[in-house]
Amino acid sequence: MTPQLIVFFVLAALAVLGAVTLIAARHPIHSALALIVVMVALAGLYLLQGAEFVAAVQIIVYGGAIMVLFVFVIMLLNAGEEERTSLSRIARVAGIPLALALSGFLAAAVLRSSHAAAQAPVTAASTRGLSMLLFREFVFPFELTSFLILVAILGALVLAQREN
Amino acid sequence: MLILNHLWIIPLLPLLGAAINGLSGLFGAKWPNKAVTAVAIGSTGLSFLAALECVREFLNLPAAQQALPWVKQYFTWIAAGTFRAGFDLQIDHLTIVMLLVVTGVGWLIHIYATGYMSHEGGYYRFFSYLNLFMFFMLILVMAANYVLLFVGWEGVGLASYLLIGFYFLKKSASDAGKKAFIVNRIGDFGFMLGMFLLFRTFGSLDFVTVFDKTRELPADALGQFGILTISCLLLFMGATGKSAQLPLYVWLPDAMEGPTPVSALIHAATMVTAGVYVVARSHILFTHAPTAMLVVASVGAATAFFAATIGLVQTDIKKILAYSTVSQLGYMFLACGVGAFSAGIFHLMTHAFFKALLFLAAGSVIHAMGGEQEVTRMGGLSGKIRWTYFTMLMGTLAIAGAPGFAGFFSKDAILFSAFQHAPGGRILYAVGLASALMTAFYMFRLIFLTFHGKPRFDEHHVHVHESPKSMLGPLVVLALLSIIGGWMAAPSFWGGTDHFTAFLAPVFGAEAAPEAATAAVSEAAEHSLELTLAGVAVATAFLGFFLAFWLYLRRPGVADQIAKSAKGAYTTLLNKYYVDELYAAVIIRPLVWISDNVLWRAVDASGIDGAVNGAAAGTTALGDRLRRAHSGNTRSYAVWVVIGALLILAVIFWPMLKPAAGMVP
Amino acid sequence: MFPPREEFLRVLPILIFCGGGTLLMLLQPFLRSRTAFSLLALAGSLTAVVSVGCSAAHPGAAFYGLIGSDPASVFFEFLVGAVAFLVILGSASYLERESLAPAEFYALIFFAAAGMCVLASAREMLTAFIGLEMSSISSYILAGYRRESPKAAESALKYFLLGSFATAFFLYGIALLYGSTGTTVIAQMTPLAPGLLPKLGLALLLIGLSFKVAAAPFQLWTPDVYEGAPTPVTALFSAGPKAATFALLLRIFVEMPLAAGEWTRIFWILAVITMFAGNLGALLQTNVKRILAYSSIAHAGYILVAFAASNEIGVAAVLFYLLAYAAAKLGAFSVVAHLGGAGEKRIELDDFAGLAQRQPIAAAAFSLFLLSLLGIPVTAGFFGKFYIFKAALASHLIGLAVLLGVNSVIAAYYYLRLIIVMYMREPKEETAALPFPGAVTTVLALCALATVYFGLFPNHIIAFASNPRLFGH
Repeated sequence: MTPQLIVFFVLAALAVLGAVTLIAARHPIHSALALIVVMVALAGLYLLQGAEFVAAVQIIVYGGAIMVLFVFVIMLLNAGEEERTSLSRIARVAGIPLALALSGFLAAAVLRSSHAAAQAPVTAASTRGLSMLLFREFVFPFELTSFLILVAILGALVLAQREN
Repeated sequence: MLILNHLWIIPLLPLLGAAINGLSGLFGAKWPNKAVTAVAIGSTGLSFLAALECVREFLNLPAAQQALPWVKQYFTWIAAGTFRAGFDLQIDHLTIVMLLVVTGVGWLIHIYATGYMSHEGGYYRFFSYLNLFMFFMLILVMAANYVLLFVGWEGVGLASYLLIGFYFLKKSASDAGKKAFIVNRIGDFGFMLGMFLLFRTFGSLDFVTVFDKTRELPADALGQFGILTISCLLLFMGATGKSAQLPLYVWLPDAMEGPTPVSALIHAATMVTAGVYVVARSHILFTHAPTAMLVVASVGAATAFFAATIGLVQTDIKKILAYSTVSQLGYMFLACGVGAFSAGIFHLMTHAFFKALLFLAAGSVIHAMGGEQEVTRMGGLSGKIRWTYFTMLMGTLAIAGAPGFAGFFSKDAILFSAFQHAPGGRILYAVGLASALMTAFYMFRLIFLTFHGKPRFDEHHVHVHESPKSMLGPLVVLALLSIIGGWMAAPSFWGGTDHFTAFLAPVFGAEAAPEAATAAVSEAAEHSLELTLAGVAVATAFLGFFLAFWLYLRRPGVADQIAKSAKGAYTTLLNKYYVDELYAAVIIRPLVWISDNVLWRAVDASGIDGAVNGAAAGTTALGDRLRRAHSGNTRSYAVWVVIGALLILAVIFWPMLKPAAGMVP
Repeated sequence: MFPPREEFLRVLPILIFCGGGTLLMLLQPFLRSRTAFSLLALAGSLTAVVSVGCSAAHPGAAFYGLIGSDPASVFFEFLVGAVAFLVILGSASYLERESLAPAEFYALIFFAAAGMCVLASAREMLTAFIGLEMSSISSYILAGYRRESPKAAESALKYFLLGSFATAFFLYGIALLYGSTGTTVIAQMTPLAPGLLPKLGLALLLIGLSFKVAAAPFQLWTPDVYEGAPTPVTALFSAGPKAATFALLLRIFVEMPLAAGEWTRIFWILAVITMFAGNLGALLQTNVKRILAYSSIAHAGYILVAFAASNEIGVAAVLFYLLAYAAAKLGAFSVVAHLGGAGEKRIELDDFAGLAQRQPIAAAAFSLFLLSLLGIPVTAGFFGKFYIFKAALASHLIGLAVLLGVNSVIAAYYYLRLIIVMYMREPKEETAALPFPGAVTTVLALCALATVYFGLFPNHIIAFASNPRLFGH
């Protein structure tokens, strides 16, 4: 086991743990904090792959800016602890086993695949490679994304607006 | 050659009539009834004249040209790859018979309806539907390919549905309309499958192409389910729906909820015979599929018998006639099934005469009794409504097979063909003969209960009155046709020649010949056999008459005693063998149950309603909305998404995971 | 380095929808008149529809082959554009009645339409994903546009949560496909090595898209969302995103080298469950919007039958069916949107009783749309079913064809029930007629015209859709 592999497993375990806590936590603030753990763990994984720029962006944008926004919103709304109202029976009984079955299925399928499949070309890892991709080949979806964000902003406006 | 080159005129006229009358009502400008009458009768009358002219022109063609169908292609309708279906109309001898029956009888019924419906609301609507029906029926009989035929087929179904539900305020009427539509969809579905199968086999759905190619194919053996046999069976499935045969006949008796002229036109004379027409039209396919033929003959005979037994005990005048129609349609299929297509079409024509007559006369009786339909509450009407009585008697004599009347010749021809048919012919004959006995019985029972004996209604309250001339006129014409309509196919022992079979020979020609070929062996023996069978048939009809006479006029009490002593059988018949109940229990209730318990309770009822009811009064704060979404449903929906995902993954990977697991030692 | 002019022309409808949406948004503070916004939106969507001609005139790939114009994209962009135009035309009076803000509404429809056009013309998975998200997020917001209605709020949130769940599957699928093929360009996805991974990716993709087209068992959101959303939006949902998503699905299964064969079984199962879930679910509904929602589930099932057939007739059948279905559904929902009255309080079956007497033309138009959905000859819906049937039989899927027939028999029940209620039942209480405004009447007339026209002359579309280079490069 190489040191890299050990770091990978630690970070991966951290990410999974953070994600589970995110769902299980009752207080929204706890969920937000758990999300930060996930984000940071993912940034570490990116770093491990040699994608320094993506890792940095992950920490600055997601781990920093967006999470601050989340926490602010939660504070502003003064959201209290989640009330567990009538949980659907089917969700409670079947939810967890089904989720486990699904992940088991996916894991089994990935494990059975040959290793050669994992050697997809990695060109975008460096900052330069990434920007070349984003602003040349993928310029169209990249620009479309700005409209996507515009839609999201518009949506927030529409739904949050008070009656005048 | 005016009409022959412009065949579209014939169906277009009623369509115009429907459009004019329909639009007049739709845009609120209520026309006077007279204008509606003029448009409706005028358009169908002109269509009838156009049909007559078309026949004249066609019969003036050289014989060689007459031997082939006269096809006119107007425009291409669907073309996809090699497949082409056009708006193509055709005229041949079979179409001529159908054309004249549809326009002629249809026109008479239109005239009758102007009298019958004169006091009803929605006059314009009624005639616009009726004309629409004529349009689709003409498309059906004039189509030169299966696709266009199917359009007419569906169209008459739609018009029939509209007309059955005409008295829409009656729940039973709208239910009956719905039942007719849905039952027919089952048959139509078979028909469509049959069409596709034909297309796959022949690459075309044009009659000429399909039949020419079929002639070159070897026939399937009896018991062999080749592609032709399956196609024929599927087409026949469509026919059982439209022509009310076992097991899909259930809609026709209920269809009597419609106005009586509708029953006469659609549910006796024309639409319900469409199935017979299709089988006769596809006779080349069917003669190549003996198994299918046997099925057609058996279903026909069984239906004839089965429906006749139900008819024995019904008390609603229209219901009796409805079951009688189902039974007579069975005869027509029996004829087709034993290869006597021209006899089947002949019976179709004579039946159109006498059954339309019977229905119209029944309508006249109902009209006279002020809406009463139960024969048990009639009696002694013969003196009061003489014209109705006389014409209805003619119809009854015709359907019962009294010598010389139309039904005698056509039914005789069918029974004779059945008798001579090789596999199981004698059984078919016996069943047919038993049905004929019952037919004579229940028809005379109808006559005696309605017109003879003592009145069983309150004469002070019911003012019995004869119908107006507009209703009696068509009755008289149809009565005449019921009397003499059979003479065009009088068999030779009767001293006549079979003009009808000769007329249809260009269509059925070679297919009808084997019958003649075997007959040629000994013409004398043939004659004596035919004469014997005719004698048996007449004796049977007379027996039926006598039984009815004895039970309902001589000893009125005996019938009730019999009913009482054989209570089980009687109630079974009265309840029509509980078939409706059976269908409800086996098909409808399970569907409703699934919908109710599985889909509605488990999934839907917990939908929006539950969540909203459980939520506090709606404010728009974001937090409030978030909380509401936690109330269960969304999660259960997500669970279903996961189940679906697992399902898809399992189906994809099952075959791959298994061998992969097997490879590991 | 700047891409040549033709490349912009190839994606012109997308650009117009994006630009138009932005413009409407920006004008919101300056324009006060509802009519001005409606006219602007109408002009914009009409321009977009016309610009489809421009993209048709310049076939080919654009922007490094990520997107492009070919007959299929032209067809679906036209369909989406026409749907957007008709929805906008029909919703002006609705927005006024419900006193909803017009600018954002139209802008969201524009963005949704842009997203659908991207879906229809994308040749690469990430681009398709952005398109899918654009149309989905706009849809979530539109579903909750009647903010004061708790039903609308709930339906929007439900749609959003479940939609995001489905999107996760879709995205995971793309990731696996990229990992196992080294590309995200649809036509180039050949596995680098044997194994389950590419199939797994495709399966996850299919799961995500099945949610969007409301195929069972991913369909449960449909009735709730359709019921809660403002009815013009429901009309958009049933016609637009479904068509665009099916367009992407078609492209994947026609173009992707991986996707050959093997999937028939999946589509077979999906089609059967979906047809039954839709038709049986609709049987006992009494809310007209819910009936139509279940019916659109059933129709997704019919279209999946053509996917199971996976032959050329099937592809043509899908195109034709979506067109016929869009015309009928748009028309039907437009009738419901108007007759629902203020606050959409009158959308129960009983509210439609006696409609034929009150408003014969509306009842006749509604019946026409229902008959087309049922598949009666002389309506476009008939040929839709006809070609699907043909496709199924051509691939020897006799069982599936039989089940399709069984389902259309079941469906007859609830469509006819609606017609019967309109024509054959007296209203419970005296109801005033609600005369249709000119714009809505125009929508109904156009939908009815399309339904009848394509019911008489299906050829043009079928000939167009039988083009062997439908998904050309």
